[in-house]
Amino acid sequence: MERRSARHFDYGLLLLAAALVAYGGLLIYSASLTAYPDGIGGLDHPLVKQVLFAVLGLAVMAVIAWADYRLFGQMAPALYALSIVTLVAVLFMGESAFGSRRWITIAGTQIQASEVAKLLTIVALARFMADRQLQITRVRTFLTSLALAALPAALVMAEPDMGTAIIFGAIWLGMVLVAGARPQHVLMLGGFLLAAIPFAALAVLGEYQRDRIALFFNPNSDPLGGGFNILQAEISVGSGGVFGKGLTEGSQTQLDFLQTPTTDYIFSVLGEELGLIGAVVLLTLFAALLFRTLRVASMARDQFGRLLATGIAIMVLFQVFINIAVNIRLLPVTGIPLPFISQGGSSLIMLFAALGLLQSVLLRHRQIEF
Amino acid sequence: MDPYLKPDPREPRRARGKQEPPGRSSAIFAALRALVILLFGILIIQLVRLQVIRGDEYAQRAEINALREVQIPSSRGLILDREGRPLVRNGARYSAAIVPGDLPERGEVGVYQQIERVTGVSVEEIQGKVAAGVKARGEFEPVIIKEDIDEEAALTLRELEPVTPGLRLLTEPTREYLAGPVLSHVLGYVGSLSAEEYQLLNDQGYLLKDYSGKTGVELTYESVLRGRPGKKLIEVDAFGREIKVISERRPLDGSNLVLTLDLDLQQMVKETLEKYTSEGDNAAAVVMDIKNGDVLAMVSLPDFDNNVFSGPLGEKDFATLVDAPGKPLVNHVLAERYPPGSTFKTIVGSAALQEGIAATSTTITSRGYILVENEFNPNVVYRFKDWAALGPLDFYGGIAMSSDVYFYYLAGGKADEGFRGLGEERVARYARAFGLGEPTGIDLPGESAGLVPDAQWKEDAVGDPWVIGDTYNFGIGQGYLSVTPLQLITAVSTIGNGGKVLTPHLLREVQDNHGNILERFERSVRRTVPVEPEYLNIVKEAMRQSVTRGVAKKAAVPGIEIAGKTGTAEFGEPRPDGSHETHGWFVGFAPYDDPQVAIVVFFQRGGGGSDAAPAAGQILDYYFHGPQLAQKPKESD
Repeated sequence: MERRSARHFDYGLLLLAAALVAYGGLLIYSASLTAYPDGIGGLDHPLVKQVLFAVLGLAVMAVIAWADYRLFGQMAPALYALSIVTLVAVLFMGESAFGSRRWITIAGTQIQASEVAKLLTIVALARFMADRQLQITRVRTFLTSLALAALPAALVMAEPDMGTAIIFGAIWLGMVLVAGARPQHVLMLGGFLLAAIPFAALAVLGEYQRDRIALFFNPNSDPLGGGFNILQAEISVGSGGVFGKGLTEGSQTQLDFLQTPTTDYIFSVLGEELGLIGAVVLLTLFAALLFRTLRVASMARDQFGRLLATGIAIMVLFQVFINIAVNIRLLPVTGIPLPFISQGGSSLIMLFAALGLLQSVLLRHRQIEF
Repeated sequence: MDPYLKPDPREPRRARGKQEPPGRSSAIFAALRALVILLFGILIIQLVRLQVIRGDEYAQRAEINALREVQIPSSRGLILDREGRPLVRNGARYSAAIVPGDLPERGEVGVYQQIERVTGVSVEEIQGKVAAGVKARGEFEPVIIKEDIDEEAALTLRELEPVTPGLRLLTEPTREYLAGPVLSHVLGYVGSLSAEEYQLLNDQGYLLKDYSGKTGVELTYESVLRGRPGKKLIEVDAFGREIKVISERRPLDGSNLVLTLDLDLQQMVKETLEKYTSEGDNAAAVVMDIKNGDVLAMVSLPDFDNNVFSGPLGEKDFATLVDAPGKPLVNHVLAERYPPGSTFKTIVGSAALQEGIAATSTTITSRGYILVENEFNPNVVYRFKDWAALGPLDFYGGIAMSSDVYFYYLAGGKADEGFRGLGEERVARYARAFGLGEPTGIDLPGESAGLVPDAQWKEDAVGDPWVIGDTYNFGIGQGYLSVTPLQLITAVSTIGNGGKVLTPHLLREVQDNHGNILERFERSVRRTVPVEPEYLNIVKEAMRQSVTRGVAKKAAVPGIEIAGKTGTAEFGEPRPDGSHETHGWFVGFAPYDDPQVAIVVFFQRGGGGSDAAPAAGQILDYYFHGPQLAQKPKESD
C-alpha cells in the first residue's frame, strides 16, 4: 500500500514550497546585511536559522504525510483545546514585540501561538463540518462552526493581532462554503457584520488598531513615527521599478529605512531589489502552489480531507494577500508573515506541517481505485 | 480490512461525482481559483501603479531619503593688528546632548549615569530633559543636557561618544576676542543668522544654524573672513548616520585680516580717554596716518565686551547693553554726530583765505561780542558773544586764540563796517569739499553722514528762512552743523597733508593662512580740497600757534611740534545761569614740519582746551616717544 501511494506524492507542491523558501532565503540574506554586515558568520544568522527551520519543517512534513490525516481528525477536539490553551497562555505570559503579545517560550524556543492555532483550527473545523455534512445547512450547525472559529480569532484579536484574526474569519468562510452551507446564511451573517462595523470599531478595536487604520489613510500625519513604516515600505516598492535595484543593492533596505525587513516587510525588500518582475515571479509561484493545493482539495477522497485542503489554501492565499497588500498600502498595517518567505520558525514549520497534511490527503485519495 | 475502503454513506455526492460532471463542489473550487487570480490581480495592479507608473517618483524619494548634502564649515579668518598680533581666536563651545532615538532600549539609565559622572547633571534631571525634548521635538533631535561644558569634560565625552549610544557631544564654533572691550567697536562680533538673514544668504552657502559677522570689521569683511564652506554628499541610513561619502569639496578657509590698528596705541588711547570721562558719558578718539588714512587707533566710550556675544547671551543681557547709559554698543567715532565747535574754524579759515575774504594780516578786534541789527527791524539788536575780549587779532591770532568774533566776520561779514564775509553758501560748499556732510567711506558699518546746513536745507527741514545769525553760528561750528569725529579728522587732515581728503580705513592687508599677502590696501584719496597749498600752510601755522601760544596749549608735548585746534561746543538746553554743557574737541596733527599722524579727541562732556587738548597731547607723546618716555610726569595738569 505504501509503495502504491508513493506515486501520488505531489513533488510539484514540495518543489514549489522549496522554491519559495529559497526565494525567501535570498531576501532574508539581503535584508539582514545591515544587521550582519559580514554575511553568514554563525548559527545565529537569520538565514541559517531559516534553513534549519526549513529542514525541521521537511521532517515534520514527512512524518505527517506518512501518518494518516484522519488520525488528526480523530484528535481534532484535543488539538483544538490545545490551541485555545496556548492562545490564552500567550495573553498572560507571552512576550511582546511592537505593541502586541504573540510569543510564548516553551523549552527555550519562542513559539508564535497563533501560527500553530491557525492550522489546528483548520483541522478542528474540517472535522466538525465533515461530521455534519448534511446538518451544515442548519442555522445551528452553521453558527456552531462559526463559534469554533470565532473563539481563537477573538483570542488572537486580544493579543492584539487583527490580521491573524481576519485570517481565521477567511478560513472559516471558505471552509463553510465548501462544506455546503447555505449562501443565504453567509449573506445574512455578512449583512449583520456590516451593520456591526461601527460598533465594532468603537468596542472591539483598541486604540492601537484605530491608530493604525488612521495612519493608513494619512501616513504623513506622523511621518517619523507610526507612519514611517507605511511610507518607507511604499517608497521601497515603488522605487524598485520594473527590474529592481538588484539583490543587496536597495538603498531603502540596506540603509535601514525598513523596519522588520526579514519578516512583515520582506515583500518591500523584494519590491525594491527585484522589482515588478521579482514580484510577478513570486505571485506566480504562490498561484501555482495554491492551484495545486486546491487540486488536492478537489481530489480528496472524503469531506474531511477536502475541507482540510481548502482551509490550508485559504489560509495561504489570505496571508499572501494581506501581507503584500500591507506592504503596498492597500491595507492598514497588520503583522502577518508572508508564507514560506518571511523569517520565522513557527510559521515555516506550521506551513510544512500543512504541506504534510496535503500530501497525506493526496497519498490516500481514491484508495479504492483498481 | 481497511475500514476506509468501504464507501462512506455520508458522502453520497462524492460517490456520484465519479460519474457525473462537476457539481457544486467543483464550482466552488473554480470560484476559489478565480479568487486567487482576482486577489493576485489586485496586487499586480497596485504594483504596476507603484513601480511602473509612479516608479520614477518613488525612486527620487528613495534617493532623497538616502542622500544628504552636508556642509563642512570653513574656519573663519583671524584678525591681526598691524604688528601681526592676533586679536581674535577661534574656539569651540561644547554641549553634552542626548539623541533619545539612539538610546539603547533598556540601558538608557546607564547612559544617563555616564553623563551624570562627567557633567554632574543628575540622572533624574536628565530623564526630565529627555522626556521634555522628545515631547517637543521628537526622538531624533538632540536634547541638550548641559551647555558650555569645560574642555576636559568635553574630551571625556568625546571618548565615550562612539561607545555610548544616544550620547552626543555638540560642538559650536566660537570667536574669542583677545582684547575684549579695547577693540569691541572696531572688530564687532559674530552671531547666529536670523531667519530673515538666512532667507537672504542661503544661496551663498549659509546654513540655518550658521554664524555671520554682525557689526564692525567682522561684518565688513564677512566674505573674506568666512572663506567658502566645503560640501559633502553622503549616503545616510534611516537614523541619519553617515554610511559613505559620495563626493566632497574641501572647504576653503577664510583669509586673515591685518588691520592698520596698533594694539598698544589703542589700549593707551582708551586708558587716556577713560581718565577724562565719567561713567556713562561718551568719548571718542581716532589716531590716523595723515598720509594714507591708516587708522592707528579708534576708541569709543563707553565700551562693551564683545566676547559676551560668543556665549549664551540672553535677550535680557542684550537689552541691558542696548539701553545702558552712553549706548555702549554704538561706535561714537562714526555713528553719532555732534557740533564741531571751534575746530570748524580751520575750515572756515581756509575758505576765507582761498576766497580772498581774509589774509594773514586781516586784523579784527574782539571786544567780547558783536552786535547785529535785525535785518527787518533795526531796533532789534542781537548780541553774539566771544569767549573773551581778545582785542585785535590777525589771522594767526584769530585761530590760535579761537576768537569767535574773528570768525563771525569771516563767515557772516559785518555789513555796517563794510566787511564782506563768506556767506552760508560758501561756508557750506567748503565744508562739503572737506568731506563733511557725507560718510567718509571707512570700512566699518553704521557710519553717519553728519549734516552741513545751508539756506535751502533750513527752509526744507526747519521751515524758517536762513538769517545772518545762522551764518555766524555756522562760522564757529555751532548751530545746525554736525560732524562725526571721524569726519572731522579726515577734514582737518587735509590741512596737514596738502589738501587730500582721504578715506580712512582699517584694513592693511589680507593674508592667507601662511602669511602670504593676497591683497594690500592702497591709499584712497576722495578728492583734493579747492584751497591753494599756501593757504593751507597758513592755517597749519595758525594751528601750531594755537598749541604753542593759544587755547590748545595743554596739548603741547616737549620735543614735538603739534598743530591743533580745540573746540568747546555748546549743546542742549541752557543751564539756569545761561551757560551750556559743552562737548570738548581737539583735532590736529604732528609733527608740524612733516605731519605723519592726525588725531581727534572728543568728550561728550568736557572742554576742548581743558580736557581734549591734554588727552591728545598725552596720546601724541606716547605715539612719538613710546611707552617709556611718555609716562613721565606731566607739567601742566
